[in-house]
Amino acid sequence: MNAESRKRSLQYFFEKVVGPLGFKFTPDVELKEFLLDQEVILEAKHGAPFCPCQPLRHDRTRDMKMVCPCIPFHREHFDAIKRCWCGLFVHKDVIDPNTLPQLDQKDVGHE
Amino acid sequence: MSNKFVRAIRADEIAPGGMKAVDLDGREIVVCNCGGAYYAVQRRCGHMNAPLELGTLDGIYLTCPMHCAQFDVTTGEALSGPVPPDPDHEALPPTLGAYMQNIGILMSHVRTESMRTYRTRLEAGWVEVG
Amino acid sequence: MKPVSMYTLSTCPWCRKTKAFFTEHKIPFTFIDYDLADEATQSRISAEVDAAGATGFPYVKINDEVIAGYQPERYTKALGFSGGAK
Repeated sequence: MNAESRKRSLQYFFEKVVGPLGFKFTPDVELKEFLLDQEVILEAKHGAPFCPCQPLRHDRTRDMKMVCPCIPFHREHFDAIKRCWCGLFVHKDVIDPNTLPQLDQKDVGHE
Repeated sequence: MSNKFVRAIRADEIAPGGMKAVDLDGREIVVCNCGGAYYAVQRRCGHMNAPLELGTLDGIYLTCPMHCAQFDVTTGEALSGPVPPDPDHEALPPTLGAYMQNIGILMSHVRTESMRTYRTRLEAGWVEVG
Repeated sequence: MKPVSMYTLSTCPWCRKTKAFFTEHKIPFTFIDYDLADEATQSRISAEVDAAGATGFPYVKINDEVIAGYQPERYTKALGFSGGAK
């Protein structure tokens, strides 16, 4: 299976899901490509394109909440920091993703 | 592959985003309408032979109904294999469990093959497959 | 020097940045790449991360302070020195 082809198809599917949620792919193309590369690897290894920055618990119920795009399971948190955890997606109005720190939920508002 | 094109199905019988299975002299083929562009692929999933016209077509991506393997219908390429089942979902009766386990062992050797594709053309309102 | 330890993932670019931060500031640290660890280690880390209520990695411990996410300014503060955080 060709990783590049899989990346392009994931991009196609993800775009349709995150758009209505108010997100878009990060304008940081290098980061986007890297994260999608990792997701293709994780899918080949574990059966689904999991978030490259969250630990798999090997508990189906928990792990399914980390399948990309995991935004629906972290809506409040990610809307507050205008990005998802790994940074693959950012709010639609974000121009420079480097201005968005990777804040854990409890750190929001205390930075 | 011969150079001959044969009529497979009337173009307007498949709505955009839809798929239809046809049998052309023993060749089982699924014709896909991807927004007005027609593609023809083998009917049987490269993983476990499930009938692909019963799956879903999104853009140029076809998802198999059995285990969700995904394919690009323009090239036939298998993009991802089956999504693994959840062994913890519910307890199976002991004998069925052992049977499933055996099947699982056999299936672990199965590769998801890329699909054969066939040339298509539109001719007088018909999708022809070559 | 306050002991620094962290849990990271080999697939995560922010974890790489975090390691680079401490390396560049010459702060020694230990790390475990969770995804490359054995099951027992993963269980232990998972329980600890859950108890702290962290979303994901990088998960950095500076003394008793836990910082989840790549947050160079907080690392600087927790380490108790002023210096350009990258």
